[in-house]
Amino acid sequence: MNVNYTVVTYLIYLAVSIGLTIWVARTLHRNGRIFLVDVFHGNEPLADAVNHLLVVGFYLVNLGYVTMALKLGYDVADSRGSIEALSHKVGIVLLVLGLMHLLNVFVFNRMRRNAILDNAPPPVEPDACLMPPALPRT
Amino acid sequence: MRSLTVLFDPSCALCRAARWWLDGQRKYVPMEFIGAGTAVAAQRFPGLDPASTLKEMTVIGDGGQVYRGAKAWLMCLWALREYRQRAIRWSRPDRVQYARRFVAWVSRNRKVLQRASA
Repeated sequence: MNVNYTVVTYLIYLAVSIGLTIWVARTLHRNGRIFLVDVFHGNEPLADAVNHLLVVGFYLVNLGYVTMALKLGYDVADSRGSIEALSHKVGIVLLVLGLMHLLNVFVFNRMRRNAILDNAPPPVEPDACLMPPALPRT
Repeated sequence: MRSLTVLFDPSCALCRAARWWLDGQRKYVPMEFIGAGTAVAAQRFPGLDPASTLKEMTVIGDGGQVYRGAKAWLMCLWALREYRQRAIRWSRPDRVQYARRFVAWVSRNRKVLQRASA
């Protein structure tokens, strides 16, 4: 049987990597929305817009990496070589996806924290209160 | 809270340095600085005892709220973009005593600290 293992490896690599990217991006899209709605004080259209933009960036970076990392640089001779090459390539894609995903979660959390801080009330009670006549003109 | 007025001791180099440092930070709430014990301070806040404002840093909110010592510092830090989270953290009931002790210690030893930093 005349099978070109290298090409088959490439095709499996692309299918698995793109599938993983779509799965992670959808997870991010679904769960990030809740954070963003909170950050934007219930402004759902804005939250959806930012969410969509973030997910598009996520897709571009990850698919860009998957595409660039495709080339093996040697010919695969048998199924064992194919599996070994795939495990190495897919493993790196998983690590990149994981890093990008955690970065996104960090960004969401950071946005939420900043939104909370923007509206934080004074942290301590006053020691005294001046009567209004003592107040400076505003 | 829309603005804070900070009364600092203009005769103390450390207090002046703190004033300039606060002035240079990015803020959530604008701050105005007035020398404690000056005629301007007496005119603006006749209800405040000048001697007490010279002893401890005093901050006045736009609604007439008076904060002294550690609370004044926590309010100033709360007004700053970079320090709001820390101000909230050090205002927690179980932690505020450390903030109070630290500010009291610096305030008590400010002459010594000034000489050491000069």
